[in-house]
Amino acid sequence: MSLEGESFELREIQRLEGHTDRVWSVAWKPSTGVDGVPAVLASCSGDKTVRIWEKSPSTGSFQCKAVLDETHTRTVRSCAWSPSGKNIATASFDATTAIWENVGDEYECVSTLEGHENEVKSVSWNASGSLLATCGRDKSVWIWEVLPGNEFECVSVLQGHTQDVKMVQWHPHVDILFSCSYDNSIKVWLEDGDDDWHCVQTLTEANNGHTSTVWALSFNASGDKMVTCSDDLSLKIWGVDVMNTKSGEGYAPWKHICSISGYHDRTIFSVDWSSEGIIATGAADDAIRLFVENKDNLVDEPMYKLLLKKDKAHEMDVNSVQWSPEGDKLLASASDDGTIKIWELVSV
Amino acid sequence: MDSPEPSSIEDIFDSTLNLEETHLKEGYKEGYADGLVSGKEEGRQVGLKTGFEVGEELGFYRGCVDMWNSAIGVDPTCFSSRVMRTIKQMDDLLRKYPIEDPEDESVSEIMDSLRLKFRAICATLNVKLEYNGYPKVSDAEKNEF
Repeated sequence: MSLEGESFELREIQRLEGHTDRVWSVAWKPSTGVDGVPAVLASCSGDKTVRIWEKSPSTGSFQCKAVLDETHTRTVRSCAWSPSGKNIATASFDATTAIWENVGDEYECVSTLEGHENEVKSVSWNASGSLLATCGRDKSVWIWEVLPGNEFECVSVLQGHTQDVKMVQWHPHVDILFSCSYDNSIKVWLEDGDDDWHCVQTLTEANNGHTSTVWALSFNASGDKMVTCSDDLSLKIWGVDVMNTKSGEGYAPWKHICSISGYHDRTIFSVDWSSEGIIATGAADDAIRLFVENKDNLVDEPMYKLLLKKDKAHEMDVNSVQWSPEGDKLLASASDDGTIKIWELVSV
Repeated sequence: MDSPEPSSIEDIFDSTLNLEETHLKEGYKEGYADGLVSGKEEGRQVGLKTGFEVGEELGFYRGCVDMWNSAIGVDPTCFSSRVMRTIKQMDDLLRKYPIEDPEDESVSEIMDSLRLKFRAICATLNVKLEYNGYPKVSDAEKNEF
């Protein structure tokens, strides 16, 4: 998609209603929405349920196909599909992480991971689907190995953050884990080759990092850049020499490339980098913003520019934004107003 | 000081003039000496309590590790290799813990590591093992006094 010299609009396609409390997070099912497979989206909410939405091939609109309930006893804060799309993991304030298996149109809870002392805030599968990471209010990050027969074995309990850990996210290609926290830092975790995981880098204010809570992070398609969003009203872009991230060649540290500030005036809760290079943010000012790399290459120009701002995208805080895996076509957003919206980026 | 008064008069009034300062100094000295005694006793009590707590936590882990090792002795395949390795690591850490040297800087690092490994084993075995410890101060006071 060429973004030069065109103006764009984020057009609301559909508003998904059904949750009876704030919606915290959305996740597109991998390998759906392409090759005739209808797009599937999962959403999780303060109403303790997860809803599965599927795009109808005939009408083109999303319909709720399943409600995953009666398992979590408190808010479901985060959900993540396994790379195969066979399983979905849900992290809840009830201190557990549930693993659901998709059989036909049914979803069955096949495992419950217990270990966190209290609220689990985020869950993430690694690229191969062999490892699962969780984090939470007890300041710890957990790594679980996925074994045959829906068994999960705890690989490591990692302590390092000094506050609530908001999000865990695996690198899209290699088994490096990233976590961000209320302690304003981002930590990078790596296995030492002997089943022991360690923090190999901490990105703080001293590394040009954030000065307040880091809420979320996302990677670009090639995995050599990462964007983080924060309560300090800025986005930060970090980069690494991708050649060195291959395992067995030592660890290449991540470095601050630039900060995107001056665009947000309330907390940025969510950030997602599309496969085609568009960074979307969801913030406490109810707006969605899109940013793209500035290709003008002028010395004094910022490296990223605002593509568009969608004011009043929701009636309340935008908690999560997520690009569909089919590319830039669809963006899903979740809000405190209890709704999910599906957006299409169109040129006007 | 080039004072015009003769030195004999200064001597007479000297102790009177410095009365307040003298008392202050004496009071400080007495207070300091008393503080040393009571501070030492207080420190002893805190040390006893903390030492006891550390001891009972270490003892609890020792007991768990011994129990797991016994289970492995009966059935070497009862745990996964990762759990067995973690049990071994806990065993090593417990042996390494410098019980006789509380000022050794490695104590907190070893204790943190023990706690994390214990949580990992419990999560994998899907067991809730918790030792609440000896009755806490509030309960203990009721019993003692």
